[in-house]
Amino acid sequence: MARFLTYVAKRVINYAVMIFVATSLTFFLASAFMSPRSNYESRTPRPPQESIEQSLTANNLNDKTPIMERYTTWLKGIVTEFDWGNSPTGTSVNSEISQRIGASVKLMLLSTVLSIVIGVGLGVYTAQRQYQWQDRLWGGVAALFLTVPTVVLAILIVFFAIEINSASGMRIFYVTGLSSYTGDNVLLAFLDFLQHILLPTIVLTIISAVGYHVNQRTYLLDEMHADYVRTARAKGLTKKQAIRKHALRASLIPTSVNVAFSIAGIFTGAVMTEKIFAIHGLGEYFINCINNNDIYGSVAVAAFSGVCTLVGALLADLFAAALDPRIKMS
Amino acid sequence: MTDKSQNPDLQDPGKLTQETVDHAQRLHEAETGADANWDTMARDDASRDESIEPATVIDGTPVGEGPAGRRPTNAELELESQRLEHTEVKRISYAGLIARRFFRQKSAVAGLTILAVLALLAIFGPMISPYDYTDPDFAALSVAPSAEHWFGTDSGGLDLFACVVHGLGRSLVIGISYALITTVLAAIIGTAIAYARGIWEKIGMWCLDMLLVIPSFLLVAMIVRATSGGTGWLMLIFGLSAFGWIGYARTLRTMALSLRERDYVKAAKYMGVSPFTIIVRHLIPNLGSILIIDTVLGVISGINSETAYSFLGLGIKVPDTSLGYILSQGSSAMLTAPWVVLIPSIVLIVLCVSMQLIGDGLRDAFDPYSRAAGNVEEEAEDATPGPEKLAEHDI
Amino acid sequence: MSSNTQNTEAALTVPVDDVLRYELLESNGPKNAPTGDPVMSVRDLNVSFNTEAGTVHAVRGVNFDLWGGRTLGIVGESGSGKSVTALSLIGLLDDNAHVKGSIKLRGTELIGLTDEEMSQYRGANISMIFQDPLSALTPMFSIGDQLAEALKIHDPEMSKADVRARCIELLELVGIPEAEDRLDSYPHEFSGGMRQRVVIAIAIANNPDIIIADEPTTALDVTIQAQILDLLKVAQKETGAAVVLITHDLGVVAGIADDIMVMYAGRAVERASVDTLFARPGQPYTMGLFAAVPKPHMPSNTRLVPIKGNPPSLAAIPPGCPFSPRCPIAGPECFKTEPHLEALDPAEGHLVSCLKMQQIRDQHLTYKEVYPDLEPLTPKWAEVPRDERPVVLELKDVTKVFEVQSKGLIRRTKGIVTAMDKVSFQIHEGETLALVGESGSGKSTTLMEIMDLAVPKEGTITVLGKDTRDLKSARERRELRRDLQVIFQDPMSSLDPRMPIYDVLAEPLRAQHWDKNKINRRIGELMGLVGINPDYVDRFPSQFSGGQRQRIAIARSLATNPKLLLLDEPIASLDVSIQAGIINLLEDLQTQLKISYLFVAHDLAVIRHISDTVAVMHLGKIVEYGETEEVFNNPQDPYTKALLSAIPIPDPPVERTRLRLVYKDGELVPANEVHV
Repeated sequence: MARFLTYVAKRVINYAVMIFVATSLTFFLASAFMSPRSNYESRTPRPPQESIEQSLTANNLNDKTPIMERYTTWLKGIVTEFDWGNSPTGTSVNSEISQRIGASVKLMLLSTVLSIVIGVGLGVYTAQRQYQWQDRLWGGVAALFLTVPTVVLAILIVFFAIEINSASGMRIFYVTGLSSYTGDNVLLAFLDFLQHILLPTIVLTIISAVGYHVNQRTYLLDEMHADYVRTARAKGLTKKQAIRKHALRASLIPTSVNVAFSIAGIFTGAVMTEKIFAIHGLGEYFINCINNNDIYGSVAVAAFSGVCTLVGALLADLFAAALDPRIKMS
Repeated sequence: MTDKSQNPDLQDPGKLTQETVDHAQRLHEAETGADANWDTMARDDASRDESIEPATVIDGTPVGEGPAGRRPTNAELELESQRLEHTEVKRISYAGLIARRFFRQKSAVAGLTILAVLALLAIFGPMISPYDYTDPDFAALSVAPSAEHWFGTDSGGLDLFACVVHGLGRSLVIGISYALITTVLAAIIGTAIAYARGIWEKIGMWCLDMLLVIPSFLLVAMIVRATSGGTGWLMLIFGLSAFGWIGYARTLRTMALSLRERDYVKAAKYMGVSPFTIIVRHLIPNLGSILIIDTVLGVISGINSETAYSFLGLGIKVPDTSLGYILSQGSSAMLTAPWVVLIPSIVLIVLCVSMQLIGDGLRDAFDPYSRAAGNVEEEAEDATPGPEKLAEHDI
Repeated sequence: MSSNTQNTEAALTVPVDDVLRYELLESNGPKNAPTGDPVMSVRDLNVSFNTEAGTVHAVRGVNFDLWGGRTLGIVGESGSGKSVTALSLIGLLDDNAHVKGSIKLRGTELIGLTDEEMSQYRGANISMIFQDPLSALTPMFSIGDQLAEALKIHDPEMSKADVRARCIELLELVGIPEAEDRLDSYPHEFSGGMRQRVVIAIAIANNPDIIIADEPTTALDVTIQAQILDLLKVAQKETGAAVVLITHDLGVVAGIADDIMVMYAGRAVERASVDTLFARPGQPYTMGLFAAVPKPHMPSNTRLVPIKGNPPSLAAIPPGCPFSPRCPIAGPECFKTEPHLEALDPAEGHLVSCLKMQQIRDQHLTYKEVYPDLEPLTPKWAEVPRDERPVVLELKDVTKVFEVQSKGLIRRTKGIVTAMDKVSFQIHEGETLALVGESGSGKSTTLMEIMDLAVPKEGTITVLGKDTRDLKSARERRELRRDLQVIFQDPMSSLDPRMPIYDVLAEPLRAQHWDKNKINRRIGELMGLVGINPDYVDRFPSQFSGGQRQRIAIARSLATNPKLLLLDEPIASLDVSIQAGIINLLEDLQTQLKISYLFVAHDLAVIRHISDTVAVMHLGKIVEYGETEEVFNNPQDPYTKALLSAIPIPDPPVERTRLRLVYKDGELVPANEVHV
């Protein structure tokens, strides 16, 4: 066990260094490409120069301060107070992010679960019917969804939802936000939430279920042709039994590694979907930061998603170790 | 938040990298492992009409007497028997064979035809269009498709046909440049890291992993946003390509790892061939088919990314226009002017699907086990083993 | 000229049962003639696959019977159809295989059964042992679970305790020590030989009527191979099953089989009892196999006789006898009609498929007459005594230590392994040193150290008089490389599939900065030297057969006129009939060019044939080093003795009766006293 903890500690330290370097790199890039000064200068009426300088300096965003000085100030803030800085308007990045994580999790959780269940299920189903019409049909669907740009897919879904709404004369689907009900009835509030979440969930589920489907199909096909499946059949198992008992188990190992990654992804949200459906999650915040020259907001988002990715990587290792007897923990 | 196509809604890097690695590896194995296959095919025709050589081998008479009673060496005997074997091989170049297998597939030919039509539209469309994509027709705001405005106009009175053909051109240029640049970068960096071994390989991998930690979407957006106007699309290509190669390089490195263990690479090393020559002469050519397929599919990623950034207002901006930009303009008036959204959507889908068909066609053409191989009886169309697969049974 | 379909029709008209009766009545193998009814009867078995190269006729009209307690050896090279035959008996062919004919298990027709119906028989009546034990077991399940599954699938009622007891019994039977404790182990915790024992335990779990063993020892070391073959005999005794042993190695069948069927191009070309077949092979192809194989139990004084050419593609089998293009006694009729099995000598149940049978019978032709090319080996270097020739390679007390890391998530140093422990040997100009050892013996490490021109931590490596320690610059190394070249095992992987032969051969010359004209001339020379038509320079490696590819690899290694060739199992991946050609080529080249070889191999028969001196490696040490004949005739080290006693000898009476020794903790024990 001690050895296991040492191993995890080593990995975590390596990842911490990686995130530190990556985040610092993002800081310098963001500082080079973004100009918070222009936010103030383009205001009408243009504020006096002095107040521009004052606001910028107050938020540690003044490009007249040497970059290394800004960097150390920023870093010190994080290390000492876990303060990730302010936006050009002076709002705290910390509070912005913590407010928005909830919306992203609400959006992502359902679609992640659905996409795993549907995608893996389809993968197993089609692999067992390789080259039959079911496989061809779902393969074609997957190829189409992989090819169509996400924007186009989301817009078309919204378009048809609006058509249905206007045809039926009712607001069945909501295409913006996560809730609009303001009353106290819990049931109605939940129904309202479902009406809002349905369309973005469809979009997100389609996008990631396709990946699970294609991968699971490939993994299972690979294992189906393994020698040990033939051994199992030679024992007297039918082909279907041999696949179900032997090949499927092995093919789920890489899939569970993928699942580990998507668990981490739940927290970082989805940029396009949040933008199109006006959901105020991290993905949308991300776009706003870039559009508003919010250097610290962008860097914080980068760092946060970096942490999530690496937590996913660590989880993936652990999943694999738990499932595959060839990988020993001790 | 990073992903293969910089399509911001696909959340995890591990998944897709894994997928591409797996696919690529399989393809590669199929290809190199079964390399004999395409030649078997070519040779096969020849061996059928191979003529008989009864005259040279009569009962018990040894073949091939060496000069002046000396015992013939093994090499001489072998040459003699090759002369007798009469194996006239019908030669067909590798490229020729791939082309033949590619054009044998209806879907691939359809994809290529559609792409050609779209490319012609992008080139000649602006010439035949009566309007320019920058000239609004204030007399016709949000009009439906008509004889006057073929694709209708948007709320600002811009002729949609002119905008779409211009945007199509942008998409093609951006997609193709992106695919070419990232493939070249990824191939060189990926194979170099794989070949380096030791400390340099570790450092290289660490850097790649580190770069994958930051969502590349963010980095690209920062770079692209800073630009504007008519040259924005060049900047978009630059930004997309600058961060688009990383995951791909990682994949190619994994593939090159198995190549570097091949005996021919070792043999070259022991002959004293320089590392650069080995990378260029052995590693990259043997990744060739994967590079070609991924370049074609990379075009889709490029187009996807362009659409996403422009839709978010980060990519192509006025006065320029692109399909993503038209979509973002149209999405606000979906009920009143649905054609502004639907027409570019259809164009994008057709464009991407045609590339996908070409990519799939190439993949099947390169894959010796694929069904594109043809000549297969209808009933046994599925899962045909190549001669190699058969040989596996029988070692 | 008859087409394939006509051939099949011809086969149908043969009175199959009449022919097979010879065997039934007259067989004089070790167990005499079989009695009772066969457990399985195969009649006119035809298997074909549709591929893009056309329809592959993998098996064409094969007939045989299997009797309980008897072993049928099916011998053939790759593409002969032997494995497809085996898989069709148990119904495990790919879905796209077209099987015709009849396979009857105790009177029940098996052809045409669905997968579900067939699974009733698999494991219970017919079981199979596969070639590669490393991939044959499911890595995710413990071996206890995998064994139990084999029992429970045919007897779901069996109680847990009974299953467990039976599993332990089976593991003990196949010789797995501490069977009870090993039930919960996973396959990766076992060695290859141990895993093959588990596979055998699974195969015999339900006391089957038929056990099919498809090259069960090909992936194993020679000493393990001997143990597994012994175990197969135990398994047969235990179950009373009919065993089908499929192999390319004549030595393997000699000791274990009762009857032999030789297959070529999807057909049985010869059938006889094992004694008859080895004593009097009656078909030119079988004779060729004997002539092409070096004998491990006799000193070699003649050259090997290669069978020229290559086996035909099963997708385009030429008309006539499929062996006719390679047959030294083929006459015009052989190219027109395909022969079928007929009795060569009715008194012996000896069946041969050859149009020249009459001639063979009347003139009592043996392989010495059919392949008259058995030239005596020219004594090498008779003129200069060995000691006076310069030493081209010398290793002195070279020691190499590896840190071994455990596999998996947490890599920690498990310990150190001494891969080379004070290894010393020397090679003189123009001679061949064979480095023999089983997997893990350190022979590959030794080869790598020399190839890398490594500077060992302890000891010295001296190549052509230069100590590797004194090589200072990359240029000095490159110059030394010119005189030191390597040939790898697999010619498929050692030639870049994307390079035409010209570029393949030019590569080492370009690396040494030769100019273009010189390169052109040299390539022409090289192709002639190894016997490849110089007109073929534009072709790609895949357009050549395995043997030709190995010739090209040899040509490449000779390009810079090296003094020393390192050969890493150069013929191990080639078919038997092709191997002889490469061995002869290497011998010719040595005589012509006076090169020295360091020949790393595991095949002792080949080593006895080709080498002057032998170094036997075991656990990183050279345990025996001396002149080849001396080592083979009078081995000193117990490990060498065990190794030599494990080589299968292609001579049935010898192989059946000789004493096998097992090396155990530094001591020798006769195999029959060891618990198998």
